[in-house]
Amino acid sequence: MKLPRKKLTASVPSFAMGDIGFLLLIFFVILARAQDDSHVRWQPAKLKEVEMVASPLASVTIDTGFKNYLDGKEISTDALPAALSQILGDTPSGKRYVFLKVHKEAKALHFEPIIAAISEAGGDLVHILEPEQPLPSQ
Amino acid sequence: MKLKRGKLLIDPPASASSDIAFILIIFFLVCAAVQPETGIAQILPKTEEKTEKQEQSKNIEVSITPNSIILNGSPLKLNEFPLKLNAALSKKTRDEDRIVTVKSAPNTPYPLWIKISQVIEQAGGILTLEIESDRIINVE
Repeated sequence: MKLPRKKLTASVPSFAMGDIGFLLLIFFVILARAQDDSHVRWQPAKLKEVEMVASPLASVTIDTGFKNYLDGKEISTDALPAALSQILGDTPSGKRYVFLKVHKEAKALHFEPIIAAISEAGGDLVHILEPEQPLPSQ
Repeated sequence: MKLKRGKLLIDPPASASSDIAFILIIFFLVCAAVQPETGIAQILPKTEEKTEKQEQSKNIEVSITPNSIILNGSPLKLNEFPLKLNAALSKKTRDEDRIVTVKSAPNTPYPLWIKISQVIEQAGGILTLEIESDRIINVE
């Protein structure tokens, strides 16, 4: 006589779903951080009458050591126009926003070639600045 | 005699702590993502090499150094600059005449440069940069 074998089912316990979700989230957060430029150290210059700005297609940063970064990756000034053109692609003018984050102590010899490179790639330049607080009245 | 009834403390179930952490992370991520950035947009003409020297000389020229601003050859203070620039641009009606060529000394600080460029844009000028390119000339 043949005895029927009992079927064993292996299911993921439902109370572990929270932990699985948590680990997945950590994974995606780390992945996203690899693409952003929050690790680049810079301090914005202050200016009166700044506006809220739209989200960019690319972000160029000059850090405290006056090195250039494109979306968080270090890049030379010469390679910047080609790399930017590739990112901007066929996006129509007016939507080709490129954020320029210049450390407040940078000089013209650092930021002018970058501005020229963004212009060469046909990017719509947006300087990222901090609003200047009015002096307290005496 | 009436006996006081002790309050019962109810702990949240330990199995829910990961769910609580998950919701908290979502909350902080959303908070970080919606933090807006501020700045100014700047319209620049496409980069091209200077060929027509005669046409360039018609434009308003601004030279910036760390200590001075020179408008068409006359040195000015930062507070005088908007008035003088407005006066110079008021005579110009066509877009091509409103081009303001900015030439900066290599050690010009960014905060000063951005202030000047904002004044030019607010006065209705079209900002153009004049950058000297490095050229290597091989002498045989």
